[in-house]
Amino acid sequence: MNSESEKADAFVGRLLQNPALNGFSALQQEEQIVQFLHGNAAQLAPTLSSSQFFPGKNWNQIFALLVSRLTEAINRTLFADLQRILTENVDYTFVELLGQQRVNTDAIPRELLQLMKKLLEKQEARRAFTGPFTALHFGLADQYVNEIFSRKSYIHFELTKVQRLRMGKEEVQNFLQISLLLKPSVFLISAGGQSQQDRATGMVQNQFAEKVLGVLKKELRSVPEQVLQSAVHSSVSFNANRFIEATARLAAILGARGKSYQANVKVDRGADSPDKSWLSTARRNYKFYGFDIKMLDELYKIAAENVW
Amino acid sequence: MSKTRSFLENVVIVAIVLVLIQTFLEDLAIVLGWTIGAREALMLAGFFFDVFFTIEFLTRSYDAFRDRRFAQYLWVDRGWIDFLAAVPLLIFNSGPSVIAWYIGGVAVGGSGGMMNVLKVVKAIRIARILRLLRVLKIFRRIKNTESVMAQRHLATISAMVVTVFVFVLLVLSVGGAAVTLPTLDHTYQQQVSSAVDHIESEQLAEAGNEAELARFADTHPGIIAVEQAGTVRYSRYDQAYLSENYRPIDYTVLQQAGTEVFVDLTPINREQAVDNLRYFLIIVSIVLVLMLVYSPHFALTVSDPIHVMRRGMAEKNYRLEVRVPRQYRDDDVYRLAQEYNRVYLPMKDREAAAEDSGGTSGLTMGDVKDLFE
Repeated sequence: MNSESEKADAFVGRLLQNPALNGFSALQQEEQIVQFLHGNAAQLAPTLSSSQFFPGKNWNQIFALLVSRLTEAINRTLFADLQRILTENVDYTFVELLGQQRVNTDAIPRELLQLMKKLLEKQEARRAFTGPFTALHFGLADQYVNEIFSRKSYIHFELTKVQRLRMGKEEVQNFLQISLLLKPSVFLISAGGQSQQDRATGMVQNQFAEKVLGVLKKELRSVPEQVLQSAVHSSVSFNANRFIEATARLAAILGARGKSYQANVKVDRGADSPDKSWLSTARRNYKFYGFDIKMLDELYKIAAENVW
Repeated sequence: MSKTRSFLENVVIVAIVLVLIQTFLEDLAIVLGWTIGAREALMLAGFFFDVFFTIEFLTRSYDAFRDRRFAQYLWVDRGWIDFLAAVPLLIFNSGPSVIAWYIGGVAVGGSGGMMNVLKVVKAIRIARILRLLRVLKIFRRIKNTESVMAQRHLATISAMVVTVFVFVLLVLSVGGAAVTLPTLDHTYQQQVSSAVDHIESEQLAEAGNEAELARFADTHPGIIAVEQAGTVRYSRYDQAYLSENYRPIDYTVLQQAGTEVFVDLTPINREQAVDNLRYFLIIVSIVLVLMLVYSPHFALTVSDPIHVMRRGMAEKNYRLEVRVPRQYRDDDVYRLAQEYNRVYLPMKDREAAAEDSGGTSGLTMGDVKDLFE
């Protein structure tokens, strides 16, 4: 092993293969490794700057090198996964049901992938995409929409009667997936002036969202405006705008859930299931995050009944 | 724990399981009248286990003494159970049995004359009750729950229940030996004593009275044989049968003038063995109920919710709520858990979001250790 890049790749590869990272999406794995490097800098720095690894480099340089190699490795998995979701998982017939008959659906996945590649170059967008991507990767939207449609309760009413989505369950699932995918699009332009709480929750103000929507429309000409609105509004607090689309509110919740989601996690005896626990906490923090409390209530019941 | 120590602990657990089986079989063998060979094998096995557990107790004591924690071993770690379930049994139970077996063999009129068998039998019978404490040894060694607190509580409760039970039995046995009570033991002794008196007063053991002696002895099943001046005047069974079915503790010899009457103790021993089996089953049932019913209940209502809350407070990424069963929601622990769910977790979540730290990594330095070697 000669070059520093090869050494960095081997080190990163080794970390990625660790069983402790099983059950996480690619972006969660990236976050975990970055946290590991941050958290153990004091121990890692002396060893990694030795002649055996990266001689003559200080910790900041080593960290930057490792993170760049990590990002490259994660991107390979991430974009392959996105490509698969966009071309194989999502069926774009829902676009026609939105009343946009003349849309070239073939162009949508291409435009979306292009935008995502551009977006994910930004660190903050990448971080904000962890939750939505994890939700997509593990099919959280499909899982909950199935239950929502079988219960036909508040969320179903909001989707079909208030938002007036004249479409079936599968089409709503596809709509929601695209909303989740485009959730970090608010980072297309620099937010600026965000309050501390907005920075913590990832929410943006109404006016800023409308500005982003304008930019997004130009970037994604094939994607219907309703979808773009849903995606952008998923980053707007329901407290600030009571007219946010149901798909946006649902995407906001599922995207946030995805952030800490881990598949096949072993639940301690005496603890509630992961989704039920998360949704219960989210219900108590609904104002802080700007979630729709009634949606959380219904999702909580779904999680409790299904022991999710 | 070193590999050797771990191996030895496993050996001890296996020995405890085996000794419980041996304890049960030893009494069962008396009740079912197994052959003397089988009963002697079980007796010798009991002796071996008592020696083994005495060595275990001495080793642990020495180890604890060397580390200056003997008092802790004896009282906190329940070394007293190790002691009571080994040393007194070796001295009063299996030891005398083995000595009697070794010295007396199985010959009629052998050991009976050399030692006071009746006293030995009583001591053995009383000490035997202590064997029931061995159940506690297995309870203490088997980790039926991960919580140290749950283990300690259950061990304490079972130790209290079993020890009180055993000591009440012990007191009753000692008391029964000191006070004349209308027990089977006492009635049997009275019958046999009056029979012996009758033999002596009527001089039935004299030469020439064999026919009358046989008629009388046949109506008294407690009399096995009668000897006078070393000559067998009466024998209920032939020598082969006696050798095959009677151990030294199965009979006693009552001497009056020159007459020796060999008295059958097997009915008393069988009665005692039935009682022992009953006590054994009661104790095993109590311990099993504690392990299988109370232990999960304790875990559900005390240690599990505490474990979840402790992890939630210690680990940044751990955000699972405590499950609050409806029927226990007013318990102190669950009231605390409700506060934890309602206040602590949401606060922790908001703080984590504000810090934007994303929690801690599941990776540790140990995961990359070999890369640096």
